[in-house]
Amino acid sequence: MIHRIAAFWALLGGGVLIAIMAITSLNIAAYVADYIAETWGGNVYGTTGYEDFVALAIACAGMMFLPYCQAMRGHVVVDVFANLMGQTVQRLLDKLWLVLIFCLALFLAYWMTLGMLEVRGDNALTAILGWPVWPSYVPGIASLLLWALVTSSQIFESTPQDA
Amino acid sequence: MLDRETIGIIGIGVLFLLLMLRMPVGLAMLTVGIGGNYFISLAMPAFKFAPFIKQFKTLLWGVVGNYDLSVVPLFILMGFLASHSKLSSDLFRGFNALVGRFRGGVAMAAIGACAGFGAVCGSSLATASTMGKVALPELKRLKYAPRLATGSLAAGGTLGILIPPSVALVIYAVIVEASIVDMFQAAIVPGLLAVVFFIVVIWVSVRLKPDLAPNVAKLSKQEFRTAVWRLLPVLTIFGVIILGLGLGIFTPTPAAAFGATVIMLYGLFLRFTGLAEGLTNEGLKNSILSTAVTAGMIYFILFGAEVLKIFFARAGLPAALSEWAVGSGIDPWGILIFMLIALIILGCFMDSLAMILVVIPFFWPALVELNGGDWVTAESAAFGMDIANLQIWFGILALIVVELGLITPPVGLNVFIISQMAKDTKMAEVFKGVMPFFGIELVRVALLLLFPILALYLPNILSG
Repeated sequence: MIHRIAAFWALLGGGVLIAIMAITSLNIAAYVADYIAETWGGNVYGTTGYEDFVALAIACAGMMFLPYCQAMRGHVVVDVFANLMGQTVQRLLDKLWLVLIFCLALFLAYWMTLGMLEVRGDNALTAILGWPVWPSYVPGIASLLLWALVTSSQIFESTPQDA
Repeated sequence: MLDRETIGIIGIGVLFLLLMLRMPVGLAMLTVGIGGNYFISLAMPAFKFAPFIKQFKTLLWGVVGNYDLSVVPLFILMGFLASHSKLSSDLFRGFNALVGRFRGGVAMAAIGACAGFGAVCGSSLATASTMGKVALPELKRLKYAPRLATGSLAAGGTLGILIPPSVALVIYAVIVEASIVDMFQAAIVPGLLAVVFFIVVIWVSVRLKPDLAPNVAKLSKQEFRTAVWRLLPVLTIFGVIILGLGLGIFTPTPAAAFGATVIMLYGLFLRFTGLAEGLTNEGLKNSILSTAVTAGMIYFILFGAEVLKIFFARAGLPAALSEWAVGSGIDPWGILIFMLIALIILGCFMDSLAMILVVIPFFWPALVELNGGDWVTAESAAFGMDIANLQIWFGILALIVVELGLITPPVGLNVFIISQMAKDTKMAEVFKGVMPFFGIELVRVALLLLFPILALYLPNILSG
């Protein structure tokens, strides 16, 4: 269940990436159209504040990928010395790292919430578009909570499923 | 109480210990980064802990929402879209139609396809496994020696790391604060050099031992025509992306976004015109989900590296290493070669991105000092070049040796993947097959060391 929510959340993040792709293509089309229109003295405008938009959108998309990455056990580990440890030790360590990740995700969610309140209090705006920055923190915080949730379900899983 | 450098060195030791205990790389970096900062605040009250912790309010957002790094998930998505649209097989079949009729040609076609697909896909392991699936059956059918077949594919998989668009180069550029465009331009000649060298290795091998490649591919006129027609669009799309970025015609983020769009549309075009399976709904969904896993993994490590960097800087480690390197009286070239060897050895054990993120922040300041400091001129510098050029040259060298780790015994991940796919070929046999390629890679590193112009020529004439 949680696994599916994480997958859905990641797909939403992918939707954000596709939005970036669409805006970029639109801008390039506008640039080309402008180049052609110039020969007749015309003008075609692309959207402004491209970098602003991309930074905000990527911040959302990137964070939204984290829970699914956890669900798939996508975080890299160095496997070389694993064989030297017994199965039980490995499993125990695995659980211990999961507990740490769980704490870390909550720790980050807490501080990012404080960060959001601060950014909102400062009324921080993006440089060109003048959009407020704080709403882009919301999916980030939600992602961290979902990450913690995914991890907690893995802590109580009886058989670790390695992806 | 311990001094801060000692705490830093203990921190490195703990980091490696945690990695050996299979702690996820990003988590290990964060644990050591946060813990280390705490101990430094105890040892040196001037470095307070509270302000450090308060950075976590915006630190993660700052890493993920960094415009320069926005190319990373887009390149990754582009790679998976190309994978799931099955453009890899079009690339291989097309090249095979062109050169498969020569002795050893099918293996050469696999190298070419690995380079093109690897560049766009960006993951060495994914390239090795995708191309393995496409090319191994054909190589087997024509009775190529397993050693040559598997060796070419394992080695070919490493080609894409350097050729733009390259996620590793983007991350290197962000760490040393170099221009991403300069790095891409610098990678073109060394990247193509590797492709040529690999093809020469195959050519020489089959000349010396013709039974390595006993048969050649024979295609009917119809098969030939189809293969070439299907090759053209893929070659055009990949060529425009690689050369457009490599020559600095496009800026990275828009190029990544537009490249991903074009590949997605072409995949959908193939599907809806019925020319091929193309990009299915399932393929699109899996592309996004795979991107989520890879990008999530990279962001976690990037974030860990950012926190670790604060700790190392507070511990004064990069500065201490630079002082040591300069004061030791060892020849700067000796230290550079030592660094490259260290990267090859570490590359056998560590993920290449994690390695770039952990090791480069140490090596780079030391190299700058060895070269003569930040403002040195090319004439008085130890390596005969200014900082901007040193950034580019060292980046290319470092990336080449990092990819060497993927085909170095005893671990060599690419070798592992290929030997799993070719079930009847033993891993030792694949390593034997890889050895000539490993050798020629050392020649490439030596050439770049002796003639830095190979990397520096394009960025210097294109960016001035």
